[in-house]
Amino acid sequence: MKKEIPLAITFISGFLLIVALFVPHRPFGDLEQRFNDWYIIVAGFTLILGVDSLLAHHWKIIRRRQPGAFHSMALILSFIVTLVWGVWDGLKFGNPFDPASTFLRYFYTYVFVSLQATMFSLLAFFIASAAYRAFRARTSTATLLLVAAALVMLGNVPKGYLAIPPVVAITGLLLAFHFFREGQETAETTMRIVYWGTALVILVLLYPVIQFLYHNLPAVKDWIMNVPHLGAKRGILIGVALGAVAISLRIILGIERTYLR
Amino acid sequence: MSGMDLLFTWIAAGLTLAIFSFLYRDNPFYKFAEHIYVGSAAAYWFIYLWFFDVKPKLIDAWISNTGFERYILIVPAFLSFLMLLRFIPKVAWLSRWAIAFTVGMGAGLGITGAIQGYIVPQVKAGMLPLWTGQWGNSLNYIILVVSTVTTLVYFFFSKEHKGGLGFLAKVGIMFIMIAFGASFGSTIMARISLLIGRLYFLFHDWLHLV
Repeated sequence: MKKEIPLAITFISGFLLIVALFVPHRPFGDLEQRFNDWYIIVAGFTLILGVDSLLAHHWKIIRRRQPGAFHSMALILSFIVTLVWGVWDGLKFGNPFDPASTFLRYFYTYVFVSLQATMFSLLAFFIASAAYRAFRARTSTATLLLVAAALVMLGNVPKGYLAIPPVVAITGLLLAFHFFREGQETAETTMRIVYWGTALVILVLLYPVIQFLYHNLPAVKDWIMNVPHLGAKRGILIGVALGAVAISLRIILGIERTYLR
Repeated sequence: MSGMDLLFTWIAAGLTLAIFSFLYRDNPFYKFAEHIYVGSAAAYWFIYLWFFDVKPKLIDAWISNTGFERYILIVPAFLSFLMLLRFIPKVAWLSRWAIAFTVGMGAGLGITGAIQGYIVPQVKAGMLPLWTGQWGNSLNYIILVVSTVTTLVYFFFSKEHKGGLGFLAKVGIMFIMIAFGASFGSTIMARISLLIGRLYFLFHDWLHLV
């Protein structure tokens, strides 16, 4: 009983939505919108559980005077102040996000946006160190990733083409040097010729590549975004969607039951 | 600029600098700002969901509707009530009914959303002519089709990636890495524009230097 009813509810709610997709007439036609509204309402209440868990965790830290109690106090206080402020303005203006409300003008603009934007802008620094680590991987696929990333970044900034000659020249020379050294350290003559040949080809192509990228960087960036990036992204999206359909079917049919634990 | 604006500009600058202090190392100032962010964000989303979702769809709808449209709202209200029974251990199992509804809805929307929103439109957009009469266009279309197909092959794990399948998967990973690189580049640009925004706030709005 404790498991059968939830399984039946999951099956009926999921199955009716699929029926509504194929039978867009009454009584199924408006079912999708109605269920969607109910879903939003019920999911809204799940936030209460999440908030309870967050506050209970930090309240425990304060009560036991564990390390970080001061920060937990700051968290609970900031929660209470924001909640009271929002509810107060909500009652006063009908909505805390009313243009005249102080909640929108002061809390949202100066506190929430500042904290959120700064937190995400920190990633600019950490993403750069991630790029460095990817570059150290020294595999052909990691190189492809970095070349695409560098061209997209430089192609997105107004004077990005000015950085092309030094960046491509240094990268090309380092690559050529790398292949030359590999050739020197290889005992096999054929492989030595292949390595040295590659280094020579890189040196020969360096100038035309710099010329081409210098004059066509925005077009190259657009081509990367609109052709290989779009194609691979399309493949990933189709794969993800097929996976979502498979897991959703498992849930609706009651094969996947982990949410009942 | 009013006194309140000035006060909140200083608060915003303080919080911004506290978060940036993490670039040096983890420290109490960063931890303080981080906890303020978590607490205020939880309350913010609580208020947002109440005023934009629950209130208009449940309370306002109950007041404005009549007859069947009004009384059918008892169902989501009851399910929401069941969700809160998790706080009472003896009847906490009843909250599974509400969870089951949200999971079932998520699964149903997962299927319809994935089919309508991704699979059909993406497959339709991917069906391109391989020869258009122009070399440039045709080459681009061929690359588009090949990259989509080989990416899908790379994620096909039901058969070992050997021989022809292995070759296609190798081509697929190359296109995937180019796509990740392009997405990576775009993400960096987005983060850098956020960083420029915060630096502009500090130097323009707070210090009036630029």
